[in-house]
Amino acid sequence: MPQQIRRWIVTLMGIALIVPLIAACGGQPAAQPQSGELQGTITASGAFALYPMMVKWGEEYQKLHPGVQFDISAGGAGKGMTDALGGQVDIGMVSREIRPEEEKQGAYWVSVVKDAVFPAVNEKNPVLNDLLSQGVSREKFADLFITGKIKTWGQLVGRPEVTDQIHVYTRSDAAGAPETWAKYLGKKQEDLLGIGVFGDPGIAEAVAKDPLGIGYNNLGYAYDAASGKPVSGLVVLPVDANNSGKAEADEVLETKAEAIAAVASGKYPSPPARALNLVTKGKPSGLLQDFILWTMTEGQKFVDSAGYIALPQDLLNEGLQKTK
Amino acid sequence: MDRDTSLRPPPDRTLAARRATDRLAGHFFWVISLSPIALVLVIIVALGWRARSILAVKPLSELLTGDVWKPIAGQFGFAPFIVGTVWVTLTTMIIAVPICVLCALYLSEYARPRLRGMMKPLLDILAAIPSVIYGVWGLLAIVPVVQSAVAPALEQLLGFIPLFHSKNPTGFSVFSAGLVLAVMVTPVIVAVTYEVLQTVPHGLREASLAMGATRWQTIKHVVLPKALPGVIAAIVLGFSRAFGETIAVMMVVGNVPQMPRSIFDAAYPLPALIANNYGEMMSIPLYDAALMGAALILLLVVLGFNLLAVLALRQAARRAI
Repeated sequence: MPQQIRRWIVTLMGIALIVPLIAACGGQPAAQPQSGELQGTITASGAFALYPMMVKWGEEYQKLHPGVQFDISAGGAGKGMTDALGGQVDIGMVSREIRPEEEKQGAYWVSVVKDAVFPAVNEKNPVLNDLLSQGVSREKFADLFITGKIKTWGQLVGRPEVTDQIHVYTRSDAAGAPETWAKYLGKKQEDLLGIGVFGDPGIAEAVAKDPLGIGYNNLGYAYDAASGKPVSGLVVLPVDANNSGKAEADEVLETKAEAIAAVASGKYPSPPARALNLVTKGKPSGLLQDFILWTMTEGQKFVDSAGYIALPQDLLNEGLQKTK
Repeated sequence: MDRDTSLRPPPDRTLAARRATDRLAGHFFWVISLSPIALVLVIIVALGWRARSILAVKPLSELLTGDVWKPIAGQFGFAPFIVGTVWVTLTTMIIAVPICVLCALYLSEYARPRLRGMMKPLLDILAAIPSVIYGVWGLLAIVPVVQSAVAPALEQLLGFIPLFHSKNPTGFSVFSAGLVLAVMVTPVIVAVTYEVLQTVPHGLREASLAMGATRWQTIKHVVLPKALPGVIAAIVLGFSRAFGETIAVMMVVGNVPQMPRSIFDAAYPLPALIANNYGEMMSIPLYDAALMGAALILLLVVLGFNLLAVLALRQAARRAI
């Protein structure tokens, strides 16, 4: 009976189409070490600040263990945290401190590397020379980003004849950079004023296009990776950490190398310098554990070349203890 | 095998068995076609369930009318987001509707088949571009132009009207979002309007033209009145698309939780709120409930508008017969 056969074929084809779809929705199987060689897929999402480092680590780890695949995406610390806790990824990259509420829900974290958030203005800023010679103190940043008391570039540098308005930009997405920047000013991200732009690249783009703009960026997005200079169109503002009213030589950060040195030596205040964390849901095991341990030992070799600052050894040891 | 034998019932199956199979298949398909509708209901119930903890602490009226959004401080006012969504959507529609309807009229009533054949795929391509690309385009092309040219020019011409006067010196604004969205909803509105215009019987046009009416008179007095409910449905579909669009809007609208007073002010629509703060859901008490509440409001509004569109389209189809 060919008709019935045909019907069966159609039904079977339908099932053949649907079953893989359902299987695909079921989530990836947990990464587990197989006999001998490590195999599996590690997925990670989260902070823009950690993304380049994680990609580098992924490449290097894959060289050691060709059976391991990586799937890494950037989307802000908040997304990393939510994805990790929700089980969408194995590792959340989180560039701010972990909150007690998050630990309560099973967030298990270790700090792996350090970077910082830097204030940046446009290279065509009308008072650029004053800014570079004076620096900007924490109080003045607070007047800009929190209270909004300072409205013009003239007010900021004490030259009332300059009446150009300051265009303050902030991040719109919940992320580590705004949280760290707000913490430096004694507040939370929701208290930051300014036009909200999505993502680290977004805020760099907005300031680079607006001569009267000011914003803040992670190390990796404030400076160009290839040249070591600030991203085209941007100038990194000196932070007047000692309130001298003058930007000392070690406060002017013209290159990425200088910025890294200032963070490593502690001359650059913390926050906005901060530790970057890897978050898993519960204590990692198997392949995941092996990879995270590797980032804190062997993996530290690649920290410098990727343009990050290594954590002090005792902090790393603490993380190793926690993960083992 | 020839036709007669294939139609003859297999000898081993009785009529009752065949009818039972038929009924079974009917029920099966009924369940399958019902499941999408059930899914929407499930989503609504789930969102309501997840949002219940904030509704238990804050009355709905306070949530809907409150205008301070500081979740860490425990203040959840949705008003700036709802108002922001409405501003952006209305701006979009004011820009898009006249252009889209005239475009569809041209394609349906004036254009030669060759041009029509070229335009339709082009519009389909517009519809197929992912929204994040529209967002990047808005960020790179629209925002700087609005900042340096459009906003100052309109301010100078019409600055005495509060709608065009703004203290926001950047191009991140309701107007930029409206422009980007207008381009995004164009394919939807043009395509549906065009299809609706095609349902108007040719005999009507021919009768009108035979009476000596010009083409424009025919459109004005015969085609448009006949197709009006369908055109409205097309507009409402575009409206829902604009209302719910997230990433492209989020990249150009400025995301400041305030009540906009001018089209050059920054705003903060509901979808952007959800997408931006999705990451804080796990860490701040009541935050996930508040975001789920926002999602529920959004879903109900979009659903309502779609329902309106369906009803209007049905009306149009009935009139066209």
